[in-house]
Parts: sequence; structure tokens; C-alpha cells
Amino acid sequence: MISSSLSQGFRVSLQFSALAARVVLGLAQPIRWRSVFQQIHFIANESLSIILFCVCAAAMVTIIEASFHMKLVIQNDSMVPGFASMLILRELGAVVTALLVTSRAGAGMAAEIGSMKVTEQIDALRMLGLNPIQFLVVPRFIACVAAGAMLTVVANMVCLIAAMGVSVIKLGYTTGTYMELTRPFIEPMDLLFSTIKGAAFGAAIPLFSCFSGFNCREGAEGVGLATTQAVVSSSVAIIIIDFFLTFIFSYYY
Amino acid sequence: MSVASWDIEFDGLIKRFGERTILNGISFRVARGEIIFILGTSGTGKSVLLKTLTGLLRADAGRVLVQGQDLTYLQEEAYLDVRRKCGMVFQHPALFDSLTIEENIAFGLQRHLGLSLEAARPRVRECLDLVHLDYDELAELLPAQISYGMQKRVSLARTLAVQPQILLFDEPTTGLDPVTTKQINRLILELSRKLQTTSMVVSHDMDCALEIADRIIVLDQGRIIEQGRVDEVKKSPVPLVQDFLAEALAGHAETTSSDSGGGRP
Repeated sequence: MISSSLSQGFRVSLQFSALAARVVLGLAQPIRWRSVFQQIHFIANESLSIILFCVCAAAMVTIIEASFHMKLVIQNDSMVPGFASMLILRELGAVVTALLVTSRAGAGMAAEIGSMKVTEQIDALRMLGLNPIQFLVVPRFIACVAAGAMLTVVANMVCLIAAMGVSVIKLGYTTGTYMELTRPFIEPMDLLFSTIKGAAFGAAIPLFSCFSGFNCREGAEGVGLATTQAVVSSSVAIIIIDFFLTFIFSYYY
Repeated sequence: MSVASWDIEFDGLIKRFGERTILNGISFRVARGEIIFILGTSGTGKSVLLKTLTGLLRADAGRVLVQGQDLTYLQEEAYLDVRRKCGMVFQHPALFDSLTIEENIAFGLQRHLGLSLEAARPRVRECLDLVHLDYDELAELLPAQISYGMQKRVSLARTLAVQPQILLFDEPTTGLDPVTTKQINRLILELSRKLQTTSMVVSHDMDCALEIADRIIVLDQGRIIEQGRVDEVKKSPVPLVQDFLAEALAGHAETTSSDSGGGRP
């Protein structure tokens, strides 16, 4: 039982690695830029409002909670702006954005490719002489890397503004004080690392989502399962990638 | 018949999915211009047979030859030429949802012949004519805006666009009403004769087989249990074939009775 699960896991890992390798090799082939821009529009533009809403809410909760606990423990919340901004730039902006992109765009990719598999459109592409990975996955991969980075930058900026807003309204800081208290804690490197994280998460989402779509089983249930699997595997991948990148970046702080 | 006149040849074909053997030593040949009908119940490996022919699935053992070319060790890229020779109409229409009918049909032309959409337009019109559909009415529509029967025809038009020498039909009439089924059957027969293509039709519809096939092969549990010309298969003592024939006769009787007004006075 355990050995069969292990061999199944090993086989799936090999298949996933093969897909990832073919996507990377596909970057050297002619790219369908029109499709890339359509995907950027789908991933970035159409997800922007929901991402901004959620990251702002997360930033505001972070500020309020941090202030409450700091006041409770050290009777002083003067370090809240600095800590909160650092947390937003290093983790919150990139991770929350990526998780939301996964649940929206990643699920969409898995469902779309899964439906194409079930209705034999993938086979039809192959019959018409097209490589489905080059045709479907490579544009999504490029778009998601670019959108992941861009959305992270925007989310970080909006998050910081939201954090400042709630600090002014709820905690009684002035914007000047807030910025003064924040400055010692954050540096340009944080923004760069956060953007790298966004791009890395963006790379993982289409790979896991399209992999789930290509392995979709027959029927509506199969498409549903593939979508669920895409969201779960992409989310887990984001958490793991985040750990490794944070670990690596910690040497540069 | 000389070797060169065989368009398709299966020799000891075996295909497994995990522990399950789907095709178990399939061997037969299809002559040029022939309409061969692969008949069998669901899950007997009929569609798998077509997919191994086009390289969409790889055989585990045995050989597949198309016009004398052995496909056994062909790499994915090398299949392009085979796939141009063998046009496949899938069980689902498999039209690309985001493309218009015209773009769907021109898709293969753009890929295989490097034509622009404008340059492909006359051929798109011609292919829609072949399947008795009106270009002006349909060209700009999306697949979701036309009926399932029409989608099947458009799918056939897309396959015909690149002028394949071999036509492969996977359950061409599944999900269609009896009238549209008849139309599709007639279309397969008409196109095969008109374009002089070799056709391989996979279905569980004996009625369709009797109407259009030159030769019928009956599959059961991955093996050939009967094969021959239509009149030979009609006399087969094999129980499964008898069941298929009885089903077809019952269907005929039902259609005839409903056509003639049916029922007791």
C-alpha cells in the first residue's frame, strides 16, 4: 500500500518535472504574444480589485492586532508601523496576492484545460500539429510570472497606504510620524525580494494548475477535482517556495 | 491486393492502461478507399485503437503502419506528417470555444500550410459546403452558438480542410437524434466516395455500420471476434454480433412504425 503510494507519488513528480522542463524549453520557441497579453489581462487586470480589497483588509487587521498586542505586552505601540510595514513587504503582499491569484486564475486555468482535455480539444490540437504545452501552458506561464510580479508591487504599495490609513484613523498617528517610524525598518531590498517572490509564485501557479488540467479525469466531476487539486497543490507550493525564498533572502538582510 | 494498396495496417497491437489490457493483439489491414467499421460495446478499446493510429496514444507492443510507414518508434514531432494524412473527427466536436467557426476550420490550414485567415477563406467555404453548411450564416458564430449536430459537421469540415487521405471517425453519431444521425452517416459515405479517402469509423451503432461500411470488424474485450463484409457479418453466429443485429433490426422496426404513423387503428 505504502510502496504503491510512493511509486504513484514518484510517477506524478516525474510527470510534473517533465511538464516544467518542457515549459522552460518552450520559452526558447516562438511565443504567442497575443495570448500572453490576453492572459495577463485575465490574471492581473481582472484579479486586481479583489486582490487589492483582500490585501488592504489583511494589512488593516495586521495593524490593529499588532497594536492591541504590543500595547498589552509592552504598553507601547510605536513599533507597530515599522513591524507591520516589514511584514507587509516581506510576506503579506506577495503571499496573499499569490494565494488569491491561485484561487481565481489558477482554478480557471485548471478548469479550462481540464475541459479541453475532457472534450478532446487537446487531442484536436495535437492532431492539428500543435504542441499543447507550447500552445497553452507557455503563454500562461509567462503571463503569470509577469502578472505575479506586477500584482505584488501594486498590492504592496496599496497595502502600505491602507496600513498607514488605519494607523492614522485608529491609532492616532500622523502620516509624518508613521513614515518616520517606518523608515528604519524597511529598505529597497524588501521591495525587490517581494517582487521576486511574486514572480516565483506566479511561475508555480500555471505549472501546477495546467498539470492538474492535463491530468483531468472524464466528466464534470473530473474537471471539479482537477480544479480543487490545482488550488490545493498551487497553494502548498506557494507556502513551500515562500519558506525557501525567505530562508535564502535572510542571508541578504 | 499489393502491399502498397493497404493504407492502414495493425499488426499484433497491444495497449494496456496499468494492469488492464485494452487491446490484445489486434491485427487487420484497411485497403485504400475502403470504409471499415469498428464495432463494439463501450470500453472495448475502439477509440484507443484510433488514437494509437494517430500517435495520441502509444502502443505497448505490436506495429501500426500508415501507407507503409511504420509508426512504432516515431517521435511526437515526426507524427505531424501522419496527422496531416489522417484527419480525425472526435467523439466530441472538439471545436475551440474561443474561436469562430471560420477560425476553427482555418486553424489546421494556418498551422499545416502557413496560410493567413484571408488566404484560407475559400477553402473554409468549400469545406463548409462539403458538409452542407452555409458559410455566410455560420462563419462568424462561436461553436456555442450552433447546435451539437452542426458542431459535429463543423468538426468534420475542420478535418477535411487539410485534405487528409485517411478519415478517422470516433463515434460520429453519439449524442445525435436519429435524423441527424442519418445525415451524418450519409455524409461519411458521400465524402469517402467523393474525396476517395480511406475511412475508419468507430461506433457501437450497427445500423450505421450496415448503412455505410464496406467491411465490419467487431471488437470485444480488446480482441477481434468477427470481421468480414457486411453480408458476411450479417450471417455471423457470434452472439454479440447477433445482439447488435437484433438491436439494429429493432431500431429499424421502430423507425418504420413511427414513419408510417404507427400504432393500432
